[in-house]
Amino acid sequence: MTEAAAPLLRITAMTKRFPGTLALDGVDLVVERATIHGLVGENGAGKSTLLKVLAGDYKPTSGRIEIDGEEIEIATPRRAHELGIGIVYQELSLLTNLSVAHNISLGAEPTSTLAIDERAIAQNAARALGRLGVTTIDPAQKVGKIPLAERQLVEIAKVLTLRQPRILIFDEPTAALGQADVDRLFRIVEGLRDEGVAIIFVSHRYREVLRICSRATVLRNGGVVGEVACASTSVEQLVELTLGQKVAAAFHRTWRSEERGEPLLELAGVHVGARVRGVDLVVRRGEIVSVCGLLGSGQNQLARAIAGDAPDVSGSLRVKGAELVPRSPRHALRHGIALITENRQEEGLFPDMPVRSNISISSLPRIVVAPLLRVINARRERRLAREVAKATGIAPRALSRRIRVLSGGNQQKSLLARWLMRRAEVLVLIEPTRGVDVGAKLEIYRELEELARRGAAVLVVSTDTPETMALSDVIAVLYHGRVTAVFDPRAVTEQDLLLAMQGVSKPVEAAV
Amino acid sequence: MSVDAGTVTGRRAPERAQVGDLLRRLAETLGIVAIAGALLLAFGLTSSQFLLSGNIRNIFVQISVVGVAAIGETLVMLAGGLDLSVGSVVLLSEVICADLTATHHLPLSVALLAALGAAGGIGLLNGVLVAVIGIEPILATLGTLLVAAGLAKLILGLRYLQVDHPVFNDLAVTNVLFNLPIMVAVMLGLYVVVSIAMRVTPFGRMVYAVGGNRRAARLSGLSLVGVTIAVYVVAGVLSGIAGFLNVAQIGLVSQNDGMGLEFQAIIAALVGGLSVTSGGVGRVERTLLGALIVGMMTNYQTIKGIDPAFQQAFLGGLLLAAVLADRLLRGRQ
Repeated sequence: MTEAAAPLLRITAMTKRFPGTLALDGVDLVVERATIHGLVGENGAGKSTLLKVLAGDYKPTSGRIEIDGEEIEIATPRRAHELGIGIVYQELSLLTNLSVAHNISLGAEPTSTLAIDERAIAQNAARALGRLGVTTIDPAQKVGKIPLAERQLVEIAKVLTLRQPRILIFDEPTAALGQADVDRLFRIVEGLRDEGVAIIFVSHRYREVLRICSRATVLRNGGVVGEVACASTSVEQLVELTLGQKVAAAFHRTWRSEERGEPLLELAGVHVGARVRGVDLVVRRGEIVSVCGLLGSGQNQLARAIAGDAPDVSGSLRVKGAELVPRSPRHALRHGIALITENRQEEGLFPDMPVRSNISISSLPRIVVAPLLRVINARRERRLAREVAKATGIAPRALSRRIRVLSGGNQQKSLLARWLMRRAEVLVLIEPTRGVDVGAKLEIYRELEELARRGAAVLVVSTDTPETMALSDVIAVLYHGRVTAVFDPRAVTEQDLLLAMQGVSKPVEAAV
Repeated sequence: MSVDAGTVTGRRAPERAQVGDLLRRLAETLGIVAIAGALLLAFGLTSSQFLLSGNIRNIFVQISVVGVAAIGETLVMLAGGLDLSVGSVVLLSEVICADLTATHHLPLSVALLAALGAAGGIGLLNGVLVAVIGIEPILATLGTLLVAAGLAKLILGLRYLQVDHPVFNDLAVTNVLFNLPIMVAVMLGLYVVVSIAMRVTPFGRMVYAVGGNRRAARLSGLSLVGVTIAVYVVAGVLSGIAGFLNVAQIGLVSQNDGMGLEFQAIIAALVGGLSVTSGGVGRVERTLLGALIVGMMTNYQTIKGIDPAFQQAFLGGLLLAAVLADRLLRGRQ
């Protein structure tokens, strides 16, 4: 093959194996220069792994990467940078207490005789922003003072100044943006394309992918399941491609509440920061309610607000009929509301403590000898821990081990056991099966059902649609911070749900 | 229920880990015991005086003040904090105690209570500054270090106070177990009580939890403010007790008492294997071994006539070595 005919980026049979999982399974991807190429797929399909390989963060297990027909290896982020691969991450890397101009030149400050050349920095910033056609941002302003959408533009400007990128990757760039900002971003991305840059556009928002990309590659379970020409593809077709036989399909509810339980949690016009804008929602005893939405639709903030872990909450929140806006997780727990977040390691586990202590940490008053004799009754602790471990499917032998050595699934089950021992009545979970193996997933679903059967109200936030379909009694779809549809999962197809999440309204309302 | 896949993984992974866990726990405790033993042997072989029972007694007496202060320091560090005010609180406690008994002729019990109250008060101030106001522990306690030392010197003036109360004499002189005086027994007793308390009380659990993962502790419903204040208050009170022991040992209170004691306490905790890279890891009883190791080294160097300036530099090296060892052992996890 001659060099001129070679595409700018060609990935062949890329495989990345982690202990226990195959994250990428022989992925092929070709991106031509001066095109925008979409990369779509469900969570866990392999998109982030692929990005990390291109960014030099992960070393692939096998496979070839060619740029301009030349085989290369991307061993480090620095190497990726030298090769002209730039990535604009969803979580921005800007320093909020530095000015826009300094952020743009960060890591490559122009110097004149030892001192940092402030004038060159200002010129750099003006040039980079000017190239993007951005005139609304003052380069002297601190990044912390400008809106999120503009920070993203600063991030792009920064990537552009470091080195002329040949390949530019956008990871969920529109998750936090409003419509006008999306339009502006797209104009800029198209401008870069016209300069000859090859762009990879990773997004869950299929309408946007179809609008801006020429071709899109669909990943599922680490492999490529299709490559489409965007002009002749519909959102429906794309949704269909990303679906497939899923783990969750193996799960069937064996119990559902006969009658409608009393409402344990009632939300009316709840606002959280700028992300959640007037949510009404009811979760009843014995019910599993899922909140679905694309990344950045406000579902995580909503879940945290209910459990007392979000600032700026307004509106009406009632717990067991009583008006209550939890001030802190501790306050929420006193009223029976418990939270399991999506960051198990950072926000759930005490890594060096045994599993048993990890479970009992929230129920210490239950295991002391007497209320005034604050000494732990070890026998009672062991008995209670064994009980909840049995209910959640944790092997009794695991209880005395440090929790950090357990698998993700067993760690997650330990967190469920923690709230079971605490006898939480309202359980809020964000992405409860992220990073959990298949068998443990089923056990967690089973345990959530069991919790509901015992009279708890369960609220699940998940972007894994098959999961919510199989698990829930009610699905509420969140779009741009509002509930735009409420479904009975038995009376709706996954396709309808995905379309509703994309903002395609199809009034299949079920009674709440 | 068909849950085979999950149970299988649940079984496979931890089995190997169980052996690893056990080895690790053994290595952590035995490792420090082994180091202490090796030093004892090496020093004993190279010095004819080192192993004399009088010298062993000396080592224990010399570490008892630091040893008690280090218990509190260990709790604070286990909870993810740091207390630099330890030495000043020791001085403040001594001064209050000496001033009330020697100058004002108040009963010893009143003086002890007042000293403990002041020590606990500085601890409370530390806790409030760190937990409620949110000042970095190192800065907050640097501030209270100066406040407490200043207060103590204000009371003491330019003099030094002699304390010859019989209780203090007894503490330092009367032997209770083997040929060790009461003050050593007090220190050992405090280690036993606090070590057990850290294992069997909710307070101990909460300290480890807050140090191990603050975010998780908050979401688990623990009161970060409450636990943080509690460890600083306990550290203050223990420093107060360390002050009594110092008065007993020296019989005098002077301006420079307690100076640098916080660093010795921190070094004892670190040599005892308290982790600074992963919080919430460490054991109170190992701090005693750390204090013993430091005490033996200092004693040996003194016997051998090594320049105190060098001893100080050596102590600094020991601190860095302990931190480095922690990095190497835990950094990989």
